[in-house]
Amino acid sequence: MIATDTFSHFARRMASTQGFPYVIIAETPNPIRQLEPEALRPRAEAMIGTVIDGLTLPPVEIKHRLKDVARQQIRPQGVVRSSVPV
Amino acid sequence: MTQAQMQLEAGSVAQLLTRAYEHAYEAGWTDGLPIIPATPDAVQQFIAASGCPADKLVGILPSRKGRATVEVIAVNAIMAGCRPEYMPVLIAAVEGLSDPTYPLELMQVTTNPMTPFLLVNGPVRNKLEINYGTGCLGPGWRANATIGRAIRLILINVGGALPGVYSKVAFGSPLRYSYICGENEEENPWTPFHVDRGFRREDSTVTVFKASNFCNISGGEGVGPDEILRQIATNMPPMYGGGDGALLLLGVNHAHSLYEAGLTKRDVQQRLWELARLPADHFAETFATTERAVGRGDAKTVWRAHSPDEIYVAVAGGPGPQNVYIGAGMPQTRVIRTV
Repeated sequence: MIATDTFSHFARRMASTQGFPYVIIAETPNPIRQLEPEALRPRAEAMIGTVIDGLTLPPVEIKHRLKDVARQQIRPQGVVRSSVPV
Repeated sequence: MTQAQMQLEAGSVAQLLTRAYEHAYEAGWTDGLPIIPATPDAVQQFIAASGCPADKLVGILPSRKGRATVEVIAVNAIMAGCRPEYMPVLIAAVEGLSDPTYPLELMQVTTNPMTPFLLVNGPVRNKLEINYGTGCLGPGWRANATIGRAIRLILINVGGALPGVYSKVAFGSPLRYSYICGENEEENPWTPFHVDRGFRREDSTVTVFKASNFCNISGGEGVGPDEILRQIATNMPPMYGGGDGALLLLGVNHAHSLYEAGLTKRDVQQRLWELARLPADHFAETFATTERAVGRGDAKTVWRAHSPDEIYVAVAGGPGPQNVYIGAGMPQTRVIRTV
């Protein structure tokens, strides 16, 4: 999954409701809406390694890497009541 | 039943209601307020009142692509506190929200607190006691409060507008609890809103708007039509994210004053379109540039609406020098098929 950093925790919560709490998310700094193609290209190149990790790493390894991150992002206390606890 | 069922036990009715509320809240099914448990018997009663089969698909709602069947709508209506006879209104509203041209997916996920606003026309208003007069935007009327609430619960539970999950709304809005009223056709000196949109006066309809705000406009008492419209227009500034149109709920006093001065509804739309403009240098340059690019401005001014057609006028509320302006557009009107 690709998201800007501002919204990556939303992205993980959405993924968790679909059964994928440990999806690898490639982040880039927010905002991007104003960027021209030449400015977007280096952003994409900076994320490509993470994208390849997400496509090639074994699920066990991904879960190991993301377990603590996912728990913190998906259901921070007092903020989100509707996502799936991890 | 195609939906999952669960059982709760308690020592008293009061405990059961509290446990049902706590369970629904923890599961993320509510807007935060208490709910009525949707028992199988109640669901069947609501389905029967709809006149439709339980599994009839009314719409597929983004962003989770949830299936809004009659049965699912019934469950949410019960939780919201609706009466069974409100079901046809909800079904018609969901039909409107599901129209491919209605921007529901954007509304469900954006950081902007935009929300549907429902305008009800026709005989159904009196039949269901949907308030269109004094205090029509609430609180205090069950039909208004619970139909609007049911729509929000449907958007959460079917569409997936879970706050903090799919919905990224930065602040949210009190308008997201319930945002609905009837048109005061009885005090409207012109044709009702749904008739302007091609329906018969005796039809009952619900129109869903993409709405962004609420602004009560006070003033303009004992003055002529130009002063009334100027007072309204100066409270309708161009706004970011509100470019799809403006809905004016014209108060009954001003509606009669304008009518008696010889203005048609089209005259009101035209004049407001001309008056609701501000100097371009009043705005951030990027906003002014964007508005100009989409046809809502010229070299010197930025306009509230692209054309008079995008200024929607309905009459509502009770007596008093008050009007309501809602940044609202992209209306979808559907006939309410009462049983």
